[in-house]
Amino acid sequence: MERACSKKEPIVWVNAFFPIEIVHAMGALPIIPEIHASLFAYFNYSRRFIEIGGGRLSTDICSFFRCAMGLLEEGLIPKPDLVLSSSHLCDGSAKFFSEAAKKLGVKHFYLDIPISPLRGVKERLARKLKDLSFEVASYFGLPFEERMLSSVLARTGETWNLINEINLLRRTKPTPFPGAEGLSYVAGMTFYTMGTDEGLRFFRALLEYIRKNVEKKVGYLKNEKFRVLWLHHIRPYYPNPIFSFLEKNGVAVPFEETNYLYWPKPDVDSPFLSLADKLLSNPWYSSLRLRMDIAKSMAIQYDVQGAIHFSHWGCRQTLGGANLVGEALKEMGVKFLVLPGDGCDPDNFSLGQTLTRLGAFLESLEG
Amino acid sequence: MVFAGIDVGSLATKAVIFDGERILSYAVRRTGADPLTASISCLREAISLCGLKEDQLDNIVATGYGRIRVPFAQKEVTEITCHGRGAFFLFPMTRTVIDIGGQDAKIIILDGNGKVVDFVMNDKCAAGTGKFLEVMSQTLELSIDEFAGMGLKSKKALSINSMCTVFAESEIISLIAEGARREDIIWGLHLSIARRIVGMAKRLSLKEEITFTGGVAKNKAMVRALNTLLATHLNVPEEPQITGALGAAIIASLQAPFKA
Repeated sequence: MERACSKKEPIVWVNAFFPIEIVHAMGALPIIPEIHASLFAYFNYSRRFIEIGGGRLSTDICSFFRCAMGLLEEGLIPKPDLVLSSSHLCDGSAKFFSEAAKKLGVKHFYLDIPISPLRGVKERLARKLKDLSFEVASYFGLPFEERMLSSVLARTGETWNLINEINLLRRTKPTPFPGAEGLSYVAGMTFYTMGTDEGLRFFRALLEYIRKNVEKKVGYLKNEKFRVLWLHHIRPYYPNPIFSFLEKNGVAVPFEETNYLYWPKPDVDSPFLSLADKLLSNPWYSSLRLRMDIAKSMAIQYDVQGAIHFSHWGCRQTLGGANLVGEALKEMGVKFLVLPGDGCDPDNFSLGQTLTRLGAFLESLEG
Repeated sequence: MVFAGIDVGSLATKAVIFDGERILSYAVRRTGADPLTASISCLREAISLCGLKEDQLDNIVATGYGRIRVPFAQKEVTEITCHGRGAFFLFPMTRTVIDIGGQDAKIIILDGNGKVVDFVMNDKCAAGTGKFLEVMSQTLELSIDEFAGMGLKSKKALSINSMCTVFAESEIISLIAEGARREDIIWGLHLSIARRIVGMAKRLSLKEEITFTGGVAKNKAMVRALNTLLATHLNVPEEPQITGALGAAIIASLQAPFKA
């Protein structure tokens, strides 16, 4: 925020799943509005901005984007010089970013990412990424060369190694690190800082913290009875009792779908191909079979007895597949709960229903 | 030994006194605005009906939405588990429970020991639940019993498209204005709700036998609508509204004695 306010570098708004390394490589400052929405939700300030944003975006659109629109209207996110968005992953992102660019009168580049893994798709997407990068750099009059992206991707590769090590350590029992935190600042840093020194420092510190807990055999719960996987890439960020309920009842969340390392380690010699590979590997923007297979392998790796699928209202990419993912897990004997709710809008949260669902899920784990 | 189960629902509070083998008595009251007062008076009524005193109870388990508002209960258990236990006790071959209460509907799958294997609940909207039927009966100026009885007399079901309580009410008023028979409107409403319940049930693998519990199971038109759509014969307890409280009392009987 300090850098954004100093206005020394161009500000680019991107969506959470946009290949942010491109923005870092050209020395611009990325801002991810939906992450700002989750921060406002975390401090219980999202309600007002969702209401304001609802004036421009339909109430059917994901509340994170409606909140971001409200923040834009109230001038609470640094104004961009350019908007970059991709078709993956969120349905609401296409609507939000085009509307935001129109309202702010700034240029909007839209990156269409194919779903189908046909032959040649990766190469075509890599060319598209290259064209886009040079076009954006020329728009800002910034120098840009492929080697600048390679150097950013070298840091992404180092971060990849750290995340891989963290994820391996998180398989340990007792559970060394809480899933609730994995879903908040860990996921946020993954989106924001990939390819940066800040990201490297953060993940090194996180690895050290988890390693110490593993070495000392310290779990984040005093009395861990069950391990449960959290599916979907978000959780409700406004104050709510979901994780305290789980913790109070000895239910640890050792891992969450959002931090699964689904993409291969980048090759610095082929930076655009590597980014294309990452975008095309996204399990939420692919065949549901891939998501089911990943859920099953996470259930085995993290040795869980149950899985909670948080079904965020308005998340069209994940809701439809919840039951099939659940069926796949149930076949392995993993108890499965669909927990409907809203990650950003506290008015879409039913306390009684949520606690009843969680309570019954816990009772079924207890047998 | 004597045990009590209290089910504090959104519309009704139910208490069951159980001796480990059979129901000794039960009581049902409106929950109203004060769940604690409702649970105390309902429990007292049930106790007095079987000629016992409060201090003779060995264990109390609370369930239902108001379960956290019953400070004198030794344990809280969700209504999902309790309806499963209660239905299994009454009909031991039960493998699926359809529970429709005041504000929600649940489908519960049980194993051969009466334990919950899986469940689904309606999402935040209360359409197709007890409260919805209550509002519809009021719109037609009928008691809930008259409403269900009239639905059974229908010759043809009218299509009711809205499941939002407010919009369904307007749709009914429009149908009456067009001269539709109340019997057919009511049967159409029951079929619409039953379709919604069956759709929800199909998210799980339904297994026979199916037991229908909760206050709405007293509604014979709803029983017929579900039997028709599921092509089955549902088990319906003599007093379906107390199944959750019975399950809570059964769970109380399995706990170590407490005695306040």
